[in-house]
Amino acid sequence: MFAQTFGSTTLGLNGIRITVEVDITNGIPAFDIVGLPDASVRESRERVRAAIKNSGFEFPARRITVNLAPADIKKDSSGLDLPIAVGILAASGQVKSLNCRSQVFAGELSLEGRLRAISGILSMAANCKENNITEMIVAPENVQEALLAGNVTVYSMESLREVVAHLNGEKLLLPAVSQLPEVQPSQSELGFEDVQGQIVAKRALEIAAAGFHNVMMVGPPGSGKTMLARRIPSILPAMTAQEALEVTKIYSVAGMLKHNIGLVSNRPFRSPHHTVSSAGMIGGGSTPRPGEVTLSHNGVLFLDELPEFPRTVLEVLRQPLEDGEVTISRVNATLSYPAKIMLIAALNPCPCGFSSDPTRECTCTIGDIRRYQKKMSGPLLDRLDIKIHVPRLEYNDLVKNTAQESSTVIRQRVEAARSIQYKRLQGFGLYANAQMEHNHIKKLCKLTPDSTVLLKQAFIKMNLSARGYDRIIKVAQTIADLDAKEQIEANHIAEAIQFRSDFQTISRK
Amino acid sequence: MNHIAIGEKGEKSAADFLKKRGYNIVATQYRTKTGEIDIIAKDKDCLVFIEVKTRSSTLYGFPAEAVNYKKQRKIINTALCFLKQQGIHDSACRFDILEVYLQRDTIQYNHIINAFGD
Repeated sequence: MFAQTFGSTTLGLNGIRITVEVDITNGIPAFDIVGLPDASVRESRERVRAAIKNSGFEFPARRITVNLAPADIKKDSSGLDLPIAVGILAASGQVKSLNCRSQVFAGELSLEGRLRAISGILSMAANCKENNITEMIVAPENVQEALLAGNVTVYSMESLREVVAHLNGEKLLLPAVSQLPEVQPSQSELGFEDVQGQIVAKRALEIAAAGFHNVMMVGPPGSGKTMLARRIPSILPAMTAQEALEVTKIYSVAGMLKHNIGLVSNRPFRSPHHTVSSAGMIGGGSTPRPGEVTLSHNGVLFLDELPEFPRTVLEVLRQPLEDGEVTISRVNATLSYPAKIMLIAALNPCPCGFSSDPTRECTCTIGDIRRYQKKMSGPLLDRLDIKIHVPRLEYNDLVKNTAQESSTVIRQRVEAARSIQYKRLQGFGLYANAQMEHNHIKKLCKLTPDSTVLLKQAFIKMNLSARGYDRIIKVAQTIADLDAKEQIEANHIAEAIQFRSDFQTISRK
Repeated sequence: MNHIAIGEKGEKSAADFLKKRGYNIVATQYRTKTGEIDIIAKDKDCLVFIEVKTRSSTLYGFPAEAVNYKKQRKIINTALCFLKQQGIHDSACRFDILEVYLQRDTIQYNHIINAFGD
């Protein structure tokens, strides 16, 4: 006897509908799963067998063959347990097989027969919509996530027994309703009100947050680089619904989404340790999984002690920083993951850390410093729009108790600047100045005659690359937006140029 | 009683036990090059291959534990030989283990239905 059900798995960030075919024939009892299952799916045999028995159904003592189609995609979702179990029950006549052909089942089974939550539900639900499947049966913890896709009727089921009763029409359940808590970014604990002094750094980070620019902070140890970086999330604008959906999808596929949370509402802030591998940074594995750059999509990737990272790891960042996505080719699949990130790098000017300090002697030789700085290639530094020096605080600044501007106030300015950008960039599918390409800049950024002259001088004097030229305009545009000016004026350009001084200048300050 | 005699006694009483349960014995001690099946019986339409394991004490483990993967493969291959010889191509099959506990004056059975498969 034959039965067919639908399950789902993920490939990259996309869900793929899997047709689960079950055939039961006479012969030596056996239970085989074919169709490129990976270890977690092959092991589902034992879970399915136990779950069916312990739910009070009969596990047929016959030859069972399960086929997962399409057969050329590696299936790695434990969520296929449920469609396989339902398929076996349908093929053995314990479930009306006509009733289980119109929905996607996605859930892992416990030996007891309960449904467990799985990762990647949002992508699977979005895929249902594309395949014109309107119903989905998932574990209770996955319901809110599945509902985010919209247009799919989701049923929350506790156990295999409940699923069967529902399919046979013995005890129909009502579709689940969305009960998402209002999307509100939780206020981050750390705010800029804690940071004394560091006016230049704060201004630079405000500009960076407003335009989503990359930042490099150079300074002696203990000057507050890490402290500043950790406070950046508190001034970033709230995510739009579309951005939040993208981030949720990534975290869902990566299995890092808290269940029943629904949408991720805070911008990601990732701070990998410098022992991270290239695969850990951009993603990898035989079927590539998202890496740190993808996990910080629409948020901040903070690299503390930049020169300590292996050179190869830093160089793999070049392409995602420029393109906003990363394509990974491996044996089993070639996948693209989004990677629109704001890179924050923090480092010392030299190995001992004091070459930029006016009062303390630097003990490094010229060779030491050169080797240290060589860790970061020119092309990588060229991609950092804003480079600042974070000096050691003077005693008086440190103990002063003057009230500092709070993060909330800064964020209001950032959001105002960002909304100007949204309006300007809407038609191009972008949402921040840093994402503009050369053609966008040409079309959208208007310079006053003064600023054109200034920029020309800077281009010649500083030996700017074409990319450097574009990046100065982008930063200047953000400064103009913060200033609520229509055109980029000379002082905006000047400030942007000042943020672009090269590494040598900063570290010798 | 040596171990062969214990085994034979167990198999005989096992056959009686199955008959009482409504099984039709088709063959006993079916032997091929690949191995031996203790009892082949019919439970309604289902052909059942039964491995009988007799123990007079559980000091050396439970009887069913002795039917390890290697033994299972032997029984399955022998069963395939049987099916081929008899020209049975489309019948439900099953592999059972029947544990027989020989005590001084009583015999206890533990019938494990569908104990293993391919």
